[in-house]
Amino acid sequence: MSGQARALIQSMPKDIATAATALSFDEAFTLHHRAVFRTARAVVRDSALAEDVTQEVFLRLYRNLDSTPGEELLRAWLLRVTLNVARNTIRGQSRAAARDDEYQKTTTEAWFPQPEEDYERRLAIEEARRALDKVKEPMRSCLLLKQQGLSYREIATTLSLKETNVGSLVARGRKEFVRVYGKIGGVR
Amino acid sequence: MRECLDEGILQSYFDGELSNEYMESVASHLGSCFECAAAARELEAEVSLLSNALAVEFDGTVPTERLRHRIDVAVAGLQLGNQNSVREPIAGRGWLQSLSGLFAFTPQRTFGYAALAVVLAFGTIIGVIQLRPDQSPTIDKQDVAEVVSPQPPISQNPNPGSGVVSIDTPTPVGSYSGVASVPVKKSRSERPRTIVNDQNVAQVKLLPGERSYLKTIAVLDSTIKSKSNRPMRPELRAEYERNLAVVDRALAATRNAAKKNPNDPDAAEFMFNAYQSKVDLLNTVADARLYNRP
Repeated sequence: MSGQARALIQSMPKDIATAATALSFDEAFTLHHRAVFRTARAVVRDSALAEDVTQEVFLRLYRNLDSTPGEELLRAWLLRVTLNVARNTIRGQSRAAARDDEYQKTTTEAWFPQPEEDYERRLAIEEARRALDKVKEPMRSCLLLKQQGLSYREIATTLSLKETNVGSLVARGRKEFVRVYGKIGGVR
Repeated sequence: MRECLDEGILQSYFDGELSNEYMESVASHLGSCFECAAAARELEAEVSLLSNALAVEFDGTVPTERLRHRIDVAVAGLQLGNQNSVREPIAGRGWLQSLSGLFAFTPQRTFGYAALAVVLAFGTIIGVIQLRPDQSPTIDKQDVAEVVSPQPPISQNPNPGSGVVSIDTPTPVGSYSGVASVPVKKSRSERPRTIVNDQNVAQVKLLPGERSYLKTIAVLDSTIKSKSNRPMRPELRAEYERNLAVVDRALAATRNAAKKNPNDPDAAEFMFNAYQSKVDLLNTVADARLYNRP
């Protein structure tokens, strides 16, 4: 087990880390790869890099399959690893935009719509990202995780927060986001 | 609940994160508190706005099949690495695993390999182009060397007591055809080519016994050239040049051997034989020129 994965497991409450039924690797991929990929893409803002991050996250899961938490908090564990890997990735990445352009040309599953197809949608994504950039951590991550349907418990586990503080952090993050989003014209 | 709700509790209420008892208490308070009800309505609108704004971020397509393929390949690589590590616990295993990772083709890496292949192809082409011009001059030089003598003309040293003579440094000689095509038109009064450019002079230390041969050769050479009132027939000149080249080559080789082995009498003898051959050749030609002189 890698040092980072061991630290993650040790940082979780014991009742969580030893929780019940463990999913098989394939089941874990089927259930959670979307959340992992979308969270990664929301952080790195690059589809190709998000794929790299997703692959790395599931490889870590594969290596540590025996020691990962059970089904209940597996998503939290995966998203915690995702955030760490994604942040490490963007630290060393300065040409993500160029790569994403190349990626969009070569993939048939392009995420961004073509400009002529849906300019409004592209603009909306950019505005949401700009507003999200103004929200400080850990509130920003709370919003991202909340948007993906994580419970407060999962969010607290993912971000190493107290569960009782998550509601306040989500509320403050939401207020800040709406304030900035309204200023940049996101409110229509 | 009499106190007004803080934003965290209100948020938790809307997110369904409170206990059943707490939920009922909050709902009761919202029904009786105008300010908290207004805050709740505002929160509801903001949550809707936030959700709609972030939805575009998370609505994009997820490349499920590509991700599954990539991860399957990576996992297979891990399994292979584990098997190899069990079989061969060698020191360079990590390094080999990193190499095997290089050959795991992914959509992104494909471009890298393609670019590398293009660079290698261009490098090969440029290398071939660079090498070609180098080969042809080499062949030409070899051809010329077989025909034309590399031996430079020798001039007599004005100071015979010094034991040193000036010899023209070997310079590239034109092709045989070029030499043959230029008619030798020297008047009787024309001096032989004994004027030596200072830049082309090399001071060569003579080996013992060479001086007499060099003097003889110089005299014969000047005789041949000074008597050449009429040009030598091309066939004869070609034969002369060819023979002279062979003799000069043998002379250079034996002279080098004698120089390297100054105490070897056989080496010196071979050199003197070569000198003698040259003298014989020059003598023959000089006699022929004198005999045929009109």
